[in-house]
Amino acid sequence: METNQVTDLPRFARISAIALAAAVSLASAQAAEPIRIGVAEALSGGAAQYGISIRNGFQMAADEINAGGGVNGRKIELVIEDEQGKKEEAINAFKKLIFQDKALLLFGPTLSNSAQAADPIAQGSKIVVFGTSNTADGITTIGDHVFRNSVTEADVLPVTLRTAAKVAKIRKVAVLYGNDDVFTKSGYDNFRKALDDQKMPVTTTETFAKGDVDFKAQLTKIKATSPDAIVLSALLAEGAPIMVQARQLGLNVPFIGGNGMNSVKVFDLAKGASDGLWVGSPWSIENRTAANNSFIIAYTKRYSSAPDQFAAQAYDAMHIATEALKKAKLSGDLAKDREAVQAALPGVKWTGATGPFSFRRVSDKSGKPAGYDANQVPIVSTTRGKNYEIEQ
Amino acid sequence: MLAQQLFNALSLGCVYALFALGFTLIFGVLGVVNLSQGAVFMVGAYAALTAIDQLHAPLWLAIAIAFAFSGLVGLLIDRLVLKPLRKRDAPHLIPMIATIGLGLAMNSLVQGLFGAENQRFPSEVLPQDSLQIAGVSVTVLELGIILVSFVLMTVLMLTLNRTQLGRALRAIAESPKAARLLGINVDGLFMLTSFVAAGLGGIAGVLIGLYSNALFPLMGQPMLHKGIAVIILGGMGDIRGAMLAGLFLGFAEVLSVAYIGSDMRDAVAFGLLFLVLLVRPKGLFGTVQERKV
Amino acid sequence: MIDFLDNFWSVYSNLVLSLGTNALLALSIYLTLSCGMLAMANAAFMGIGAYTSSILTMNYGWPFPLAIAAGMAAPTLVAFVIGRPTLRLSGVYLAMATLAFGEVVRLCILRAENLTGGALGLNGIPQLTTWWHVLLAVVAVLFLLARLRRSKIGRAFEAIKEDETAAGLMGIDVNGHKMLAFALGAAIAGLAGVLDAHLTFFIGPQEFGFDRGVEILTMTILGGINSLFGPVIGALIITLLPELLRSFKDYRAVANGLILVLIVLFLPKGLWNPAWMRKVTGLAKRAAPSA
Repeated sequence: METNQVTDLPRFARISAIALAAAVSLASAQAAEPIRIGVAEALSGGAAQYGISIRNGFQMAADEINAGGGVNGRKIELVIEDEQGKKEEAINAFKKLIFQDKALLLFGPTLSNSAQAADPIAQGSKIVVFGTSNTADGITTIGDHVFRNSVTEADVLPVTLRTAAKVAKIRKVAVLYGNDDVFTKSGYDNFRKALDDQKMPVTTTETFAKGDVDFKAQLTKIKATSPDAIVLSALLAEGAPIMVQARQLGLNVPFIGGNGMNSVKVFDLAKGASDGLWVGSPWSIENRTAANNSFIIAYTKRYSSAPDQFAAQAYDAMHIATEALKKAKLSGDLAKDREAVQAALPGVKWTGATGPFSFRRVSDKSGKPAGYDANQVPIVSTTRGKNYEIEQ
Repeated sequence: MLAQQLFNALSLGCVYALFALGFTLIFGVLGVVNLSQGAVFMVGAYAALTAIDQLHAPLWLAIAIAFAFSGLVGLLIDRLVLKPLRKRDAPHLIPMIATIGLGLAMNSLVQGLFGAENQRFPSEVLPQDSLQIAGVSVTVLELGIILVSFVLMTVLMLTLNRTQLGRALRAIAESPKAARLLGINVDGLFMLTSFVAAGLGGIAGVLIGLYSNALFPLMGQPMLHKGIAVIILGGMGDIRGAMLAGLFLGFAEVLSVAYIGSDMRDAVAFGLLFLVLLVRPKGLFGTVQERKV
Repeated sequence: MIDFLDNFWSVYSNLVLSLGTNALLALSIYLTLSCGMLAMANAAFMGIGAYTSSILTMNYGWPFPLAIAAGMAAPTLVAFVIGRPTLRLSGVYLAMATLAFGEVVRLCILRAENLTGGALGLNGIPQLTTWWHVLLAVVAVLFLLARLRRSKIGRAFEAIKEDETAAGLMGIDVNGHKMLAFALGAAIAGLAGVLDAHLTFFIGPQEFGFDRGVEILTMTILGGINSLFGPVIGALIITLLPELLRSFKDYRAVANGLILVLIVLFLPKGLWNPAWMRKVTGLAKRAAPSA
């Protein structure tokens, strides 16, 4: 009736339209804001070959997820730092990612040593730290914000040993391990426990050091004790020459290896001498599942070389974290969001390149519940020709 | 087993001696502990690998290329870094630190260019099979390494003792100032020594890369540590001493693995080293006098 | 402003505290160098201090000050024991002997698994070091060394560094003074070890070997040994270099190495060279007599 009433409606409509538009743009600005994930890996120094593989796995997974629409419309942004395989640098990298880059969660570091030094920082700052290559003790026991999907050697080695002993009819073994490297030494500790548990006699135990080039003294001694197999806890840098030199000495028994030996590079580095190596690991390039196949093909195409276990676990880890991010309600408050991630992660179940995966809670030294280990079944394979053939 | 272990010791000892020869030559003539020798060693191996991969060079040519390339690197190090420091008469710790920086830079450069992962020489390059001689497994490569190290040592010794060049080098080793006064072209000989010593390091890199089937950017570091032990045991700057000490270390290591226990190996080696330094610092086999500066 | 400082500290506190411990290490080698000795064992002494104190705090619950004392006493004791025979050597031989000793210590740590954790290292060290521990330590050591320099002992060190034989003939107890420098250096290195271990939760044998020894030496020589600030400056640079060079990514260590070479070539007396600085800033005239 009056002009006011007539103009009120359009005005109201105009205001609400503006308000709505503002709200929508605010929401989409929120939605457009990327999710920042911190990645601290060894991209230089002695552990670089593992760190670079891991970074590749993360990168490829993040790109895949972003191409598929991201996490509820938000893209993942990786902030990558090089922790050089040194514990001080891991600490510095973590601090930068937590306080300066304000990451939502952290991946890394590469080496177990670095994790033991840097993970307490993450725990103290109440941000999730997710390791994909840390297998030593004392990491997930740090606290409830520490996660890993790297299956510990304590879980893998007994299975490898049992399978190899059964299939290859092994009655007694010799042991050879690197005594100055955390990885190979803890591998040895786990092997020894498994050997004791399975009551397998050991003919002799020999050691070598990182950087050695000649193992013939140890191998000659081992040969003289006539074992049925040699348990080898070594990284590929020493492991491949060990296999070659063993064959040169006429020592032709199978090798039972730890995680370090699970790489397709063994066929190249130990060419002609690579048969008869048994490894167990959560991932195998021969495991022909759909998820794994597409991962292998995509990785090989992008990086011009076959993936290894480190890349596979990183790739899966990114997907696992994404599942948690999808479930978590992210409000924009950094501290709350980090807690939301920590709450959502333990319940994630995912089947990726490494197969079915879930988390398993561990307790710390005093029995209190702490962080989360990987709950995954290892695959045992052996080398024949140019391939790993899966035995079970 | 003893015969096999003795042969193992011989080949390992020659591996150590091979590296130490270049290292000790530089110390003897230039008076510098050149801690970039590990990197130079590694560079030679990679140069040979590139030659074989990209140019399809046969092994002998690849080794020659490694010698030349490493030698060139050594020469550049001398000209660009060591010479200015000599001019300045810097205390001898300074060049050592400079060589540490150079080694670090070279290791990282190679890692950036070639990647951190282990590589190897194609297996077609050298037959991998072993022969059985009197019950002992022997490979062609091991025989090659033994031969090469003895030949090199002999050539170096003959040069030093029987030629004029050798006399000049020995004069410089005693006292560069006096040698200069005698009219010896000290500068030129420094260049030559740097070239040859680095080149020898490069050859060692190729041979040891073949032996261990493992090339990686940090491969020179463990050799460097062993090399330091060898030149101390052998008397710093003494060629024959380096050879004997290399063999000695090889035997000590192999025999301690065989008869004491492999985890005692390094303890034995270092214990010996320490003892030698305390009792006879000029080295077990040293005949060279300490240099008069 | 407070927020910025707070944030800065969160991100960089470890770096700053590492600066402090590295400065202590550099000063410990400076001490031996000022007496004319190049002793490369300080990384090993640092390790002995770190392990001793960590075992005491972790396994036996010792209070921190006592652990610090123990962590300084242990390497000093070892220094006395190996000093007697080793200090007779000179120049490069001493350097190599002490380097070898460092390796022996590393091997001992590896073998004494039950006590030290062996290759696996010690994990879960309580984080007891705070900024004032480090500050106090650095200030105290600087003070001590400054007093030492001006005292009779300091002059004796100078004399021995210049010409050992002459010093002995003048009645200076050469061996005694060298041992003092060596042992005191060990104590300072041990202190650095204790503080560092209780900062980073974890220590392993590979941290106290050849590489560390070389790093410490580089810090000291880089900074210059003409004054006490030299080693501190050197420590600053070496500690900060990885952070500053972060943008170089893969080629960071190349830059690191080259910078070292360049500094050595063009600033041979080290960076902190009061005489050079005075000349450059035109204060030479005023400072002439005491230069």
